[in-house]
Amino acid sequence: MPGGRTLLLGLMRVKELSILLVTIAAAIYFSTSSDAFNSVANYQTIAQYVAPWSIIAAGEVMLLICGEIDLSAGFVFALAPFLLMQFYVNGWPLALALLGAIVASMLIGVINGLIRTVLGVPSFITTLGMAFLLYGLVLIISGGRPVAAPKDAAVMQVFGGAKWTELLWAIGVIIVLQVILSGTRFGIHTQATGGNRVGAAESGIAINRIKVINFAVLGTLAGLAGILQGTRVGSYDPTNGGFDTMFFGVASAVIGGTALLGGTGTVVGAFLGALLLGIAFDGFNVLGVSANAFNVVLGAAILIAMILNVSLLVLRKRMGSRELA
Amino acid sequence: MKSETGTTSRRTALKYLGIGGGAVAASPLLAACDSVQESQDSGGGSGVFPETPDWRFVFVNHVTTNSFFVPTRTGLADAAKLVGVPEPQWTGSENGNVAQMASAMETAVNSKAAGIAVALTDNNAFVDLTKRALDAGIPVLAYNANAADNYPLTYVGQDLYLSGVKMGQKIAEKVTSGTILVGISQPGGNNVQPRLDGIIDALKQAAPGVRVQSVNTGAEQAAELSAMEAAHTGQQDAKGIYAVDAGSTAACAKLIGDRGLSGKVGGGGFDLLDDTIAGVQSGALDFTIDQSPYLQGFLTVLYLYLYRLSGTLVAPPVTDTGLTFVTKENVGPYASAHSKFEGGDNDKLVEMPSSIPLPPPSVLSR
Repeated sequence: MPGGRTLLLGLMRVKELSILLVTIAAAIYFSTSSDAFNSVANYQTIAQYVAPWSIIAAGEVMLLICGEIDLSAGFVFALAPFLLMQFYVNGWPLALALLGAIVASMLIGVINGLIRTVLGVPSFITTLGMAFLLYGLVLIISGGRPVAAPKDAAVMQVFGGAKWTELLWAIGVIIVLQVILSGTRFGIHTQATGGNRVGAAESGIAINRIKVINFAVLGTLAGLAGILQGTRVGSYDPTNGGFDTMFFGVASAVIGGTALLGGTGTVVGAFLGALLLGIAFDGFNVLGVSANAFNVVLGAAILIAMILNVSLLVLRKRMGSRELA
Repeated sequence: MKSETGTTSRRTALKYLGIGGGAVAASPLLAACDSVQESQDSGGGSGVFPETPDWRFVFVNHVTTNSFFVPTRTGLADAAKLVGVPEPQWTGSENGNVAQMASAMETAVNSKAAGIAVALTDNNAFVDLTKRALDAGIPVLAYNANAADNYPLTYVGQDLYLSGVKMGQKIAEKVTSGTILVGISQPGGNNVQPRLDGIIDALKQAAPGVRVQSVNTGAEQAAELSAMEAAHTGQQDAKGIYAVDAGSTAACAKLIGDRGLSGKVGGGGFDLLDDTIAGVQSGALDFTIDQSPYLQGFLTVLYLYLYRLSGTLVAPPVTDTGLTFVTKENVGPYASAHSKFEGGDNDKLVEMPSSIPLPPPSVLSR
């Protein structure tokens, strides 16, 4: 069957295939284990896990590919809703307050990027410092207290208020960033910056500018994700986001096949990574696993999934090289 | 043998009700426990209660792995065993993340849990979910933390503001002028700020000469002690050193002990950390307040069970679990028993003391 073989080989070349298969396997496992798993309402809960993680993951993919990381994303996530409220209660129209919060989030990314590139402080330390600084700001602005989100306002309906909008934003972000990454000069320069910094610089790529822009992109996305989640929940809370959310974003990116040390990665893969994590998180809750056992089960599931994923990758490479020979 | 242990746990539970001051809760509970125990004695699956499906109750918590809630989890497991339903699921967030809690509660609604207990640490995030659950025929109770303008069937936990008022009145018995320090782990926090407000309001009434200086101690235990030490260094003539959260109270006990202030200043606070209990025992602290985390799990499960069993006829009563002052007179069993009711690992019968100290006089709300 030469036709089938070609199709199989073609499929095997798709980078995201292995993580897709693992995600499907997880979905099948939970579907057979619980009747409640397959319902529209539960898909919506899964979407709530996946959307913020995948939006942050998309930004982290771009940064990881060009050889940097941002640990402060979870706190931009927490800060943005309070900036929105700060502007709003000071008389700005809601739409403008929203825009202001997003622009401020982007500027935080720019500051991270400039400290990294102009002053030469490693991004791990730069963004760690920024993380604590922002967390303090969140607590000061909020007074440690949650505030009600302006959920019913028309403009907020688009930003998380109406059902599914959070996920739609996430999917939109994924598509746009994937196209930018694989289809534009900027995307190729981003990959070159992380893959071979010196080579990229010598061939005329402004690597510092590339990095600052990617920091700014992640800042923007983290702020957006924070506003989306807070609005969906109906409450802006200083405990939202944080290192947990950032870490799930980075984990989604790496599970989806982005190299921690830069050079390669895919945004769609990061979405699948977030989807896998979301399905596992929701699924074990549906099965009724209690808190202490939960982390054991979740950890084991991630390990098994990644071992499967890596095995599939090796298989794919082997089949590919055999075909070449 | 089986019937004997059964009787024991019932008595222990009832004794706890007495100590917890859950007068409202006592009467329906008494009946419930009796019946269930009899049913177990007679050896039949459900005895006087009809057979029930395996009702899955879900607890949504804001700090699932925090040691404060160990007795709560013991309590909910005990109650589930008592009435013969599976051990309830304990889920939510490890670090107070409201969005994560909301998702966990939503999962419980979607998967058609038999009942949901939620710590309402946020005023807005759980309103729609509670409505949805009730609409789907799932009873929702609030436990440990309550919020205004939500719709849980009832609240089982400490009335935070009232506990602060009572503490303020207690402070006024000892301190009538000068400055007192009050440690608070998270100013503005939903679960501690109302206590501080209660103390201030009560002191305005009972001892207007007292000035309250609050100390922001943070949530980390080692840092809490440093913060209290620094505050006292700056205010050495303080007449009292108090706190409104577990960690800061333990810090008060250590501070008063370390600086040899026992008996010279008033001291007190909340909850039952080891340092706090030792402080009450040594006299460093005049009192600490027990909010009965065990009952917050135990009663909540019983209420959910009875509500379902009776098809809503046994409506869950509002239950304040937390106004037991632990002082030198009654600290004995807290310090020595390591009982599972307070988070220890001892599930044996705890000996009754030979006499019971007088509780505060009863007050009628008229």
